[in-house]
Amino acid sequence: MEVEGKGGEAGTTTTATRRFALPVDAENKSTTFRLFSVAKPHMRAFHLSWFQFFCCFVSTFAAPPLLPIIRENLNLTATDIGNAGIASVSGSVFARIVMGTACDLFGPRLASAALTLSTAPAVYFTAGIKSPIGFIMVRFFAGFSLATFVSTQFWMSSMFSGPVVGSANGIAAGWGNLGGGATQLIMPIVFSLIRRMGATKFTAWRIAFFIPGLFQTLSAFAVLLFGQDLPDGDYWAMHKSGEREKDDVGKVISNGISNYRGWITALAYGYCFGVELTIDNIIAEYFFDRFHLNLQTAGIIAASFGLANFFARPGGGIFSDLMARRFGMRGRLWAWWIVQTLGGVLCAFLGQIHSLTWSIVVMLIFSVFVQAACGLTFGVVPFISRRSLGVISGMTGAGGNVGAVLTQLIFFKGSTYSRETGITLMGIMSIACSLPICFIYFPQWGGMFCGPSSKKVTEEDYYLAEWSSKEKAKNLHLASQKFAETSVSERGRASTHPQT
Amino acid sequence: MAIHTLLFASLLIFSLIPSSREGNKGRLFSVLQNSLDVTGKPVQDGVVLEAGKDMVTIKWKLKSSGKVDADATFKTIQVKLCYAPISQVDRPWRKTHNELFKDKTCPHEIVSKPYDKTPQSLDWTVDLDIPTGTYFVRAYGIDGDGQEVAYGQSSDEGRTKNLFSVQAISGGHVSLDIASILFSVFSVVSLLVFFVKEKKKAKLEQRE
Repeated sequence: MEVEGKGGEAGTTTTATRRFALPVDAENKSTTFRLFSVAKPHMRAFHLSWFQFFCCFVSTFAAPPLLPIIRENLNLTATDIGNAGIASVSGSVFARIVMGTACDLFGPRLASAALTLSTAPAVYFTAGIKSPIGFIMVRFFAGFSLATFVSTQFWMSSMFSGPVVGSANGIAAGWGNLGGGATQLIMPIVFSLIRRMGATKFTAWRIAFFIPGLFQTLSAFAVLLFGQDLPDGDYWAMHKSGEREKDDVGKVISNGISNYRGWITALAYGYCFGVELTIDNIIAEYFFDRFHLNLQTAGIIAASFGLANFFARPGGGIFSDLMARRFGMRGRLWAWWIVQTLGGVLCAFLGQIHSLTWSIVVMLIFSVFVQAACGLTFGVVPFISRRSLGVISGMTGAGGNVGAVLTQLIFFKGSTYSRETGITLMGIMSIACSLPICFIYFPQWGGMFCGPSSKKVTEEDYYLAEWSSKEKAKNLHLASQKFAETSVSERGRASTHPQT
Repeated sequence: MAIHTLLFASLLIFSLIPSSREGNKGRLFSVLQNSLDVTGKPVQDGVVLEAGKDMVTIKWKLKSSGKVDADATFKTIQVKLCYAPISQVDRPWRKTHNELFKDKTCPHEIVSKPYDKTPQSLDWTVDLDIPTGTYFVRAYGIDGDGQEVAYGQSSDEGRTKNLFSVQAISGGHVSLDIASILFSVFSVVSLLVFFVKEKKKAKLEQRE
C-alpha cells in the first residue's frame, strides 16, 4: 500500500500557499483519486469515511443473519420480523435529512462521528432485549446510523473535484454498503466462535452484538482523531478564524428544498437504493422458503447480493465520470436512467423465475445494475446545488430509505402478495419511478432530451443564482464561484457553446 | 473484470448448493402408518415447563390394535418435539407440510434409538435452547434406508389435545446488561469530550 506522507501541513493554520500530496483545483479539492493512498487530507478522509459507514451498515443489518436464533429466543412472529425490518430503515429517513443540514453547519467529521457514537448504544443494548418490542426498538435506533451515508457523500464532494467526484462518492458509498453483505457472513461466524467458547445459543447471539458495536465506536474515534472536514482545515476552526462564513440555516434549507431536481433524485434513489435495502432484508428468507435451502446457503446467497457492492456501486460512479468526460452532464443522466431502468426490468424478471440456478444468476446481474444506479445517482447530486449540497444529499439519501419503507409496506408486509409477486411488482415500480430522471434539466448543460438553454446560461449564473445580491456583497458566495469554475468540465468534450 | 468476478461468484454459489436431493423427494406424511402409541406428559400437569429445568416423561410402544407385523421394517425410533398449531401461527418457519422433507413441524430431536419391541420410557429434561411455545411429542419409525415408515404422537390428529407449554430461558445475563451500559456510557461520554476539545481548539484558533 502506497502511503504518501508528504504535503498537507497541519490543517488548522491558514496560509496562502499549501502543498498537498495530490493535485488540487481552485477549491483545493483533489483532482485525482488514488485508492491505495492515505495522504492527508483527501485520501485519508476517503478511507475514514467509507470504513465508518461500513461499520454502521454492519450494525444495522447484524440481526437478519441471526434471526433464526433471535426469533426463537424472543418468540417473534413473522409480523414482528417484518415490522423490525421496516423500523431498521425508517429511522434514518429523518436522520438523513437532518444529517445534510448538520454537515452544512458542523462539518461532516463531527456530524458523522456524533451520529455513530450516539447510535452505538442501540447496538450494545441489543444484547439485553427480552421482547419483540425491544427488538423493534433497537433495530429502529441502530438504523439511524445509516445517515452516515450523507456525511460520506458530503465529505467526498468537499474533498474531490468534479471529474473524480462520482468515483469517490461511488466507491465510498459502495464499500460502505458492502457492510450489509459482509454482516451476513461476519455475524454467523462470530456467533459460532462464541458458542464454541461454551455459551448457549440464546446467550451467544447477544454477546455477538458487541462486535459491531465496538467497531462502530472505534471507527468514530478514528474519524474524530485523524479526519479533517475540508482540504483547508476543520469547519469550526475555520468558522472562528473567519475563513469560512457561517451560512443562514433557513436559507440553506429553503434553497435546497425549492430545487425540484433534489426531489427527483430523492424519488429515483428510493427505487435503486430503496430496492437494495429491501432486498437486504428479505432475500435470505426468499431463497430459504421458495427453494427450501438451508440457512447457511440462503445466507451465502443473501451475502453475495450485498457483496457485489464492492465493485458495482463504485463502477456506477466511475461510469458516471467517464460519461461526463465525453458527454458532460447529459451523459451522466442518460447512463443513470438506462442502468436504473434495466435494474427494474431484471427485478421484475427475478420474481417470475422458478428455477434456483437462474434465480441466482438473475439476482447477481440485478444486484450489479441496481447498485451501479446508486453510484450513478451520486454522480449527478453534487452538481444540483453548491450552497445546499448537504440538504440535497440528505433529501436524496432520505428518499432512498423512504423507498425501502414504502416498498416493504406495500409489497412485503403480511401475506397480501407472495414474495415472488412482491419482487416483480417492486421491479415495475422501480421502472416507473425512474422515469422522472428524464425531467432533470440544467440550463447550462441541458437534460436528457434537451440541449443547454439558448440563453447561453453559464455555470456561474446557475450556482450564483443561489445567493442574493446582498449576500454576494458580503462575499459569501466565493466557494460557489470556485465550484462554478471547476464544473465547466460537465459540458463534455463536444461543447455546445463557446468557452467564456 | 466485473464479468469475471460475476462468473466466479456464480460458480462459487452453485458449488455450495447441495446438488441432488434424495430420490424420495416426494415422501408424504399422510402415507405413514399411525402404528405407534406415544404419550408425553410433563411431570406436573397444567404448569408451564422451564427449559433446562423441568422434565417430560415420554413413553412409546407399538399399538396393540395395529397390524401384526407393522414393525417389521423398523430399525430406529426417532422421538421429536413438535409445535402445536397455536405456536405455528404467523411463523412460516414452523409450517406443517405434507411432504416430509419440507415439513418444519418437528425440528427438535429428543432421542434416536434402535428399535426395541418392548415399550420404552424416557424422562427428558427440556433442552436449554427450546423456544417458548406449546408442544406435543411425535415418534417416527424409521427403516434401514433412513426413511420414515410409521409414526405416533402424543396428541390427536388436529394436534389440540394433550399439549404442554414450555418457557424458554431468556439468554440474558446481568453481566451482559452491565457491559452494555458501560460501553454505551463510554461512547456518549467520549463524544462529549471530543466536542469540548473541538470548541477549545476553535477558540485557540480565534485568538491566533
